[in-house]
Amino acid sequence: MNTQSSAASSAFHAIKACMVLIGWYFIVTLSFSAAFSTAALADSDKETGPSEQEHHAKESHSGSYEAPLPVNLSTDPDLCAYVPCHDVFPNADHFSPRKGRPAYVEAYRNKNGKHKESDNNEDDGERELIGYVFLSTDIVDIPAYSGKPVVTLIGMNIAGKIVGVKVLRHSEPILLVGIPESELTKFIKQFVGKYAWDKVEIGKARAEGGYIGIDAISGATVTVISENQVVMRCAYEVAKQVGIIKAVPRPQAKFTSTSEQHTWDELLAEGSVQHLKVSPADVGLDNTGQSYIDLYFGYLNTPAIGRSILGERNYAGLMADLKPNEHAIFIVANGAASFKGSGFVRGGIYDRVQVSQDMDSFTFRDTDYRNLYNIRATGAPEFNESAIFIIRSTSFSAAYPWSLVFLGNKVDKQTGTRTFANFDREYWLQDSYMEGGRPVVIKPDPTWLKIWKSRIWEIAAFVVILLFTTVTYANRDWLVRHSSRKEKRWVSIPKYAIWLTSIGFIGFGLMAQPSITQVLTWFHSILFQWKWELFLSDPFIFIFWLFIIVTVFVWGRGLFCGWMCPFGSLSEILYKAAGAVGLRRFQFEPPMRWHNRLKWVKYGIFWGLLAVSFFSMGLAERLAEVEPFKTTFLVGLFNRSWPYTLFTATLLGLSLFTERPFCKYLCPLGAALAMPTTFRWFGLKRKAECTTCTACARGCGPQAIDAQGHIDSRECLLCLDCQILYYDDHACPPLSKERKLREKSGLPLTRINAAGYYIPIHPVPAKRANE
Amino acid sequence: MKPAIHDFSPPYAKTTGVKWLLNELVDHLWPWSKQGWRQHKAIQTAGLAMAIAATTAWGLAANGQLGASAVIGWWLGWSVYEIIIRLQCKPYIKDGPWWGHQYRSAACMDMICYVMFKNLLIGAVLFIALRNLGLLQMVD
Repeated sequence: MNTQSSAASSAFHAIKACMVLIGWYFIVTLSFSAAFSTAALADSDKETGPSEQEHHAKESHSGSYEAPLPVNLSTDPDLCAYVPCHDVFPNADHFSPRKGRPAYVEAYRNKNGKHKESDNNEDDGERELIGYVFLSTDIVDIPAYSGKPVVTLIGMNIAGKIVGVKVLRHSEPILLVGIPESELTKFIKQFVGKYAWDKVEIGKARAEGGYIGIDAISGATVTVISENQVVMRCAYEVAKQVGIIKAVPRPQAKFTSTSEQHTWDELLAEGSVQHLKVSPADVGLDNTGQSYIDLYFGYLNTPAIGRSILGERNYAGLMADLKPNEHAIFIVANGAASFKGSGFVRGGIYDRVQVSQDMDSFTFRDTDYRNLYNIRATGAPEFNESAIFIIRSTSFSAAYPWSLVFLGNKVDKQTGTRTFANFDREYWLQDSYMEGGRPVVIKPDPTWLKIWKSRIWEIAAFVVILLFTTVTYANRDWLVRHSSRKEKRWVSIPKYAIWLTSIGFIGFGLMAQPSITQVLTWFHSILFQWKWELFLSDPFIFIFWLFIIVTVFVWGRGLFCGWMCPFGSLSEILYKAAGAVGLRRFQFEPPMRWHNRLKWVKYGIFWGLLAVSFFSMGLAERLAEVEPFKTTFLVGLFNRSWPYTLFTATLLGLSLFTERPFCKYLCPLGAALAMPTTFRWFGLKRKAECTTCTACARGCGPQAIDAQGHIDSRECLLCLDCQILYYDDHACPPLSKERKLREKSGLPLTRINAAGYYIPIHPVPAKRANE
Repeated sequence: MKPAIHDFSPPYAKTTGVKWLLNELVDHLWPWSKQGWRQHKAIQTAGLAMAIAATTAWGLAANGQLGASAVIGWWLGWSVYEIIIRLQCKPYIKDGPWWGHQYRSAACMDMICYVMFKNLLIGAVLFIALRNLGLLQMVD
């Protein structure tokens, strides 16, 4: 009974203590956050000149991170009334309303050089067309690392040369609290002077294939890769639409004479009819129990498919109407939304659906529309909407894969802003419907795969290091048996080598320092949307996390925290180095009483960050600056403003005098990993005497051994000092005692068994010995 | 003879095979024990209230009527309750690999870690299952 009430009482006390700690943490960190935010502004201003600073001040005080955009930015015809078109096209005097599909605006200059205000008539002969300005979210829907697009304004002249690029809004956390935004400005300036058809890649230029290389932003690889796609894809789309890039004809499909008719289910099963479903949540709306749109589509020129869907007579009629190089597709749909939209009423353009093939996209006007009254295929369900659309282009070929794209309006619930969100489904005719079957198509690698391929040797080296560490630790028994309290080289040499590699190669080289922000991202991904591409886009972090997850469950967090964490390694190596150069007399361990209180702070920080992240990921990212990792490895100690530098320098300075202060008391990542460490499969060895003997507790750097001799696996960093002692018959008190007894009695010192004792000597009876 | 509540191993610790696995499963999902349940009327009442509230919350969540923060709030509330009840009724946790039969007395932090992590896994599985079945939609 007493046990129960004391357990409950300690539970209440612990919860109360946690609440107090969380409260204190947020009071302190919010104050720090204010200081850091000011510092972040200083960071971004540091690299810009006075005039630019003034300009920035006029526009915004907080850069483009989550900058508020006008609600009707995506819909209002007068784009340049909302965004600074002059910034990307300074020579222009006048901008037209939005035109075309996807939308762009035309930039004009007065022929006589005089500035002319508020005249919308660009065809008056006094102005000449000098280029185009377009908003990236009008054209592409490519998310960056945050899962949200980088909203970019681009200017391009009539020769197809990019003349200006400006980021209006981004949600990239690393550019908020790590890398100054001026780096992003510097990065996007590299696009100026490139042509819409240029093959631009991040990294070095490649002669084969004519690829032009541009410099990345260290630590923000995914962001710059997606931004490269955004800028170049937008420029290409607009250049093609306005006729700067001419359409390239594709070889057309030759259909087989197969004309047997199929049921609806057969067409679906073989892929001749494809299904695209968009839920309300996908476009930021509340669930109503009904799909936003539930859409089926297929290619009608193929005799077997066309006859199955339309019936013999209608198919023949449609084919008779089509000219060479014209293609018919059908779309049918149910759901709350309409795929026809209302755009065709206003401008004759269907603004909800388009077809894309590689870099080409095909939109539909009212003249491309035909009625589809019913589906003849047996078993086809009823649909609210139906249509036949005609693609009139030699660039389209049914022989190659293409996609139907549904363009939804995604509503941001917080701001009410609407942006286009693209939902697409690929379609490719079956082998049996084409003479000679499907042509060979080499699809471009997805972005994440490109990154993996481009860094294959670094990845291989990284994996080797992780395997070496795992194998080394797995053989710890051999290592500690060959070491003693005074001579630890069998453990120390591999560990120091791993630390140095971790700091130099993994930390500063690959910038692969795991962070609590990744754990927060996981929680959000589980709840909202899991995207493998997001996690695969950074191969080192991805592989590191696989290593961490496996080793935490097998051995506990100590193998990562104590052996592999770049910042932890730096911290401990500073402590060792300081001891070696004569500072040992100043080095200290916090009293156990205080250590046992302070160690809970990191758990409070972790839970606090997790809770805040559900309300504001941006604030959680700011508060996660409690980790000095970005300052140390990603950005550099001297590339940030003073509060960050001071904070990190203080932690590293403190590390000279006490072992791993950050890891023990502040690290939220350590806390997150400590919790599953409670269930690690294989712990460290203990003897019965360990409950009364405190010899190894006195030498335990992480202070993980309590007065009863229990190792707190959550605090243990697997330094193996206690395991060296375990087998050391000159240092482990019970073992040393037995050694002395045996030596006194003249008994041999047998091998020490796995339990940590000499193998017992059992005297053989004399009679049996004689036999 | 039934083991006393302070005996750290669960009563089924000596069983093997499928029986042991089923007992383990029940043990993870059911935080109460007969002894602990009978001894504390306040916990009994709170337990019933929590069970009803949690069921209601899950029902609402399944119908898409609860936002992310409400679901997370319930998850946290339930976890805190489970920590307290387990410390009363089942004050032990597994020591060593999950397939082993070794248990140890749970300190408060052990129980917090166990319950939070277990519920996180259960929650993740439920979220993914409900979302894939189209019963739960979380809007960021």
